[in-house]
Formats: sequence, structure tokens, C-alpha cells
Amino acid sequence: MGLKTLDKISAALQSRPLELEQLRKEGKKVVGWLAYNIPEEIIYALGLIPIRVGQGGDGRLVEVGARHISTKNCVFVRQALGQFAEKTDPYIQQLDLVAIDATCIQLYRLEELINFYFGYKTVVLGVPRNFATKEGHEYFRKEVEFFTKKLEEFAGVTLEQSKLEEAIDIYDGIREAIKTLYKYQSLDNAPLSWREVSSVINAGYNLDRAHYLELLKELIVEAEAKLSEPSRRREVEARIFLSGSLIPPGDTKLVDIIEQLGGRIVGDDLWSGLNFFLNLEIKEPTPYGVADAYLDRVPHGSLPYLDLKSDGRLANLKHQLQEFGADGIIYHTLRYCDAFTFKAGETKEVLGKLPFLEIHTEYSGSDFEAIRTRVEAFIEMIKSKKEIAELV
Amino acid sequence: MSFSYNYFAGVDVGSLAAKAVILKDGDIFATGLLKSGVNSVESGLSALNLALDAAGLKKEDLTYIVGTGYGRVSAPYANKAVTEITCHAKGANYLHPTVRTIIDMGGQDCKAIRIDEDGAVVDFAMNDKCAAGTGRFLEVMAEVFKVKLDDLGAIALSATDTVPMSSTCTVFAESETISLVARGEKPENILNGIHHSIANRIAGLFSRVGIASDVFFSGGVAKNTGMKSAIEQALKVTIVRPEIDPQLIGALGAAVIARSFAKKEGLWA
Ligand code: SF4
Repeated sequence: MGLKTLDKISAALQSRPLELEQLRKEGKKVVGWLAYNIPEEIIYALGLIPIRVGQGGDGRLVEVGARHISTKNCVFVRQALGQFAEKTDPYIQQLDLVAIDATCIQLYRLEELINFYFGYKTVVLGVPRNFATKEGHEYFRKEVEFFTKKLEEFAGVTLEQSKLEEAIDIYDGIREAIKTLYKYQSLDNAPLSWREVSSVINAGYNLDRAHYLELLKELIVEAEAKLSEPSRRREVEARIFLSGSLIPPGDTKLVDIIEQLGGRIVGDDLWSGLNFFLNLEIKEPTPYGVADAYLDRVPHGSLPYLDLKSDGRLANLKHQLQEFGADGIIYHTLRYCDAFTFKAGETKEVLGKLPFLEIHTEYSGSDFEAIRTRVEAFIEMIKSKKEIAELV
Repeated sequence: MSFSYNYFAGVDVGSLAAKAVILKDGDIFATGLLKSGVNSVESGLSALNLALDAAGLKKEDLTYIVGTGYGRVSAPYANKAVTEITCHAKGANYLHPTVRTIIDMGGQDCKAIRIDEDGAVVDFAMNDKCAAGTGRFLEVMAEVFKVKLDDLGAIALSATDTVPMSSTCTVFAESETISLVARGEKPENILNGIHHSIANRIAGLFSRVGIASDVFFSGGVAKNTGMKSAIEQALKVTIVRPEIDPQLIGALGAAVIARSFAKKEGLWA
């Protein structure tokens, strides 16, 4: 039996576009955002409604996007561009402003394109490459300050410290709750699956954050009640960890294949997954404090390695692999996602002996069988390590 | 006095050929190999029947059947399906327990597989993109030169020079080849260039998984002596020759795994 709160969350999601329409009629404004470093707390504290946009898995929309850019651009960006071009997505229809950060240069270009071709009102947040230095921090502080000013003008209000504190509390609560759910989904007696947690995360980006936090709390209580039920014995399982390019809502190909073949996803370090919620500690409720916290968390793959040995993304990856008891890692890269494709080889070497499978794909079904064979062999390899030793 | 043996079969349906191997207890007893058609179930069954006829057995005599290759997903005659990667590993290990690296070049893809002393896969990589470096690619080249596929390698080995081939896409390589011929290049030198260009691409596959001795070459393309030699040069290794048709290695591995499953499921002691 699934958890009831999950149904509640999907029901809330169903009615959200209409709700947004109504809120806009009442004068509220919706800010669609994309990427990794947009400080949502500030959007929320200004009384604006943050909605994360961008989906995957739709080859047709990719083609629509590709009318405006090269087919050699990242497939996620092509689809996002297709969505902005078509404007049939119920959330895109509600956007008053689009905020995009320049963590990944391809997304930054998306901002320019949607403004140029389709007239969306946009705002960009610069992100330093040398993010660990004092200069990098200073730059980002100024960027967040500028970003805040732009939003203040747009919202017609000034950022109040008390409102920002409130927002930070809500977001801290959400981050903690997501971490808890991740822990639960990886347990032997998991009350919910990785896929379910992933859809909870995706739902959260569209729902009202305070309401979402309430739902998360409810979900955790319900999940904890299930945790006390006797643990089901699982067969020898292949515990798979996902890494690499994002897996946005709508892109279910790889996850479907893994699950169909009996693999169990137990964790990820995707920016569309857990990483987004990790290590974000806002010490001072000001735009500067927010800027420092965002810059100090696990770096996005499109930022450079400053030092391979102390690289935060790799250190986090190693830690999460242990934390979730992963048997192997599937490193997923999207076609023309340079950020993660460039890093695949090094990531594999740094991780040493852990079974590692690279899957390079895009949003079409043509490579379904090829991926299936690889994933199946990978699962066999993991299971044989655990089981076939006694078999053959 | 009557002896009762156990028979296990592996059936490997690839894009160009269907193969079957029957083990009698632990030994290779019979094999079957034919061109595969569009219907993968029929192709698999035909290969199996061929091996059964050669063995003088009926399907009911088989204790366990494992299906592999792209046809494994619809193989109603098999008890289980296992990927060709795992099967090639087991097949190579069965023949040569010292093998640690396998190059498998089949009809539509090419794989680099690393295995341990038990024949378990420890890492692998597959060519991603297209027919380059596969049996299908070589078939097209044989058609371009109007020679038999089986003679391609020997012709390449008779070359006095290597004409570099820049295209790896089958369609482009075909037109590049035609223009090279028009330019007056000798067929054997062009073919030599084609074999080396494929071998270099295969070497790229190994950059991720590494190489360790002994190195084994399986799949239909492994029959091509020119390809074997080009790969040996590109990877700077000596390739171990299988004593059976290298195209049968996947089916052999499937049969070995069938025997293990039968044992695990208590069907064979
Ligand atoms: S990080 Fe990769 S997937 Fe994400 S926007 Fe950039 S190029 Fe595309």
C-alpha cells in the first residue's frame, strides 16, 4: 500500500496551475527559475511565487527547441527552449518573470534566447567559476544583491529581514525533510521508493513552499509509522546510485529501465535530486549570507575542479555512495551536456573499483534497447558479485 | 549399463546470426549457426534445432536453456535470459580461464569486457553510436569491393600500404571508399586502412575499461584475420585464439550459465 500523503501531494499538484491562475488574478506574480544557484528564499520572501521550470523526456519538444539553436546544444536546454516556444505547459503559461543562473553556460544562453525570440522577461544571476575564493564570494554577493534589487523592483516591495528569516526557516525545513526521505527510501524496510521521493521533490518545486513543508512533515510521520512494520526480506538486490546530468521531471527512460530490470535506485547526487538540498546553511539572513551559503554547498558539475583531491562534488559523491550503501553507480550524461560528459572519465577513476556504468543518452526512444542491454549487464555484474560467486 | 547425461543449451540471437551451443554435462557437445532473420524467435529456435539435430537430441532432453543476444528479450524457448556481455565473459572463461579482457565484435555492436578469474564481468564498455566497427560495417565494405566477407581480412593483410580512412559512419565510409577507389588507391590498401581505423576506435573503448592479459577476441568479426592483426597492433597485445568458432562464444557462455542455473535450481547435481 502506498503512502496516502503521496496522493495528497499529487492532488495538490493537479490543482496548482488553476490556483496559480487565480493568485495572479489577485495580483501575485510568478517567477519561473532554472539551474542550481537561484536563491529561492529571496524570491519567496518578496512575496513572489517561485516555480522551477524545465522538463525532459520529450523528443518532440527537443525538435521544437532545435529550430532556434543547434542540434549540438544540450538536449535539456533544447527541450526547455521548446517549452518556452510552445507555451502549452501550464506552468510556463503562468510566468511573469524567468530567473536563470549562469552556473551552466548553456542554461545562461537559454535565458538570452527566450528573451530574444519569445519576449520573456528575464533576469540572470552570474555565478563565479572560481567559486571557492574570496574574490568569487565577493562577486557572487554582488550578483545576489543585484538580483535582489531587480526582484524588488519587479515585486514593488523591499526585502524585509523578517520575511527572509521566515523564508529561510521554510526552506531549511524542506531541505531537512528531503534528506530524511532520502534516508528512508534507502533502508531495507523502505516505506517509499527513490522514484517516489523524486516525484515528491519535483512536486515541491511547483507547490506553495509553506504548504509543501506541511505535506512533507505529514509524509514523514506516515513513513515513520511504516518503518516500524516488520522488514520485508529482499532478494539479492543491485543498489544503484545515479550521478551525472540532471534527470528532470518527464525523463523516465533510464529510471524505468533500471526498475524494469530489477535494479533498485538508492540514491543520487543529481542537481535535480538530492544535491540541491545538501549543505546549504544560511548563517546570516541577508542577501550576502544567502549568497555565501549557496556558493559553499556541493558544487554543480559545470563548475571547474579547483583541486581534484578536495573537490566538493567528488567528496560528496563518495560520501553519498557509502551513506546509501550503493553497489554501483550509473553515470548518466545527456547528449551535449559538456559539464558532466567531460567529467565522466575522471569521476570513474576517482571512484576506483566501484562498478561504474556510463550511459550517454538523449530524449528519444531510439537508444532504449542499447541502454537496456548495458543496464541489464551492469545489474548482472553487480548481482553476480553478490550471488553468482556461489553459482558458477 | 546406462548412463544419463545432462544437456544444457545456450542460444544467442544477434542481428546477423543466430547461434546455439549444447553442453553435455560440462563439455561442448553440439553447435548450430545460421543467418538470423527478422523473426528473432524463429531464428533462435532454428539455431537450437540445428544443434539438437547435430547432437541427436530433442528439445525435451535439455535440462536448461539460456537465451542471449538482442533476441533474448523474446525467447520463449529459454528458461532464462542473460545479456551477451555476461555470456561472452563466461564463454571466454570456459575456454581460457586466464582471459581477463574480451573484445567482442558482433553484427551491430562492439564491446570491451574485463573479467576476473571466475569469468565474472568487472567492467565493460560498448560502442555507442553506429555500425562503425561492427560486422555490418564490414559487410558493406565487402559489398563495395565485391569480395566475400570471409576474404576481407586476408586481402587487408596483403596490403603494401595503409590508406587512412577518416569516416567512421558506415554511409560516409562507403562514399569515402568509392572516392578512394576512383583516386586509384589499391583495394587492399584501402581495406587495410579500414581495418586500422576500426581497430583504433576499438582501442578508444578500452581507454575506460583498461586492458589486462590474456586478451580474447570473440564474435563474428573475430574470424577476420586482418582485424585481429590490426587490433593487436592498436592495443599492443597478442590475442588468444579460441579453438572453436569465435562467433559461438556468446552461446557457449549462455550454455555454461544454463548449467549453473540448473545446479542452483536443483535440476542438476
Ligand atoms: S549541466 Fe548539462 S544538462 Fe544541465 S543545462 Fe548544462 S549542459 Fe544541460
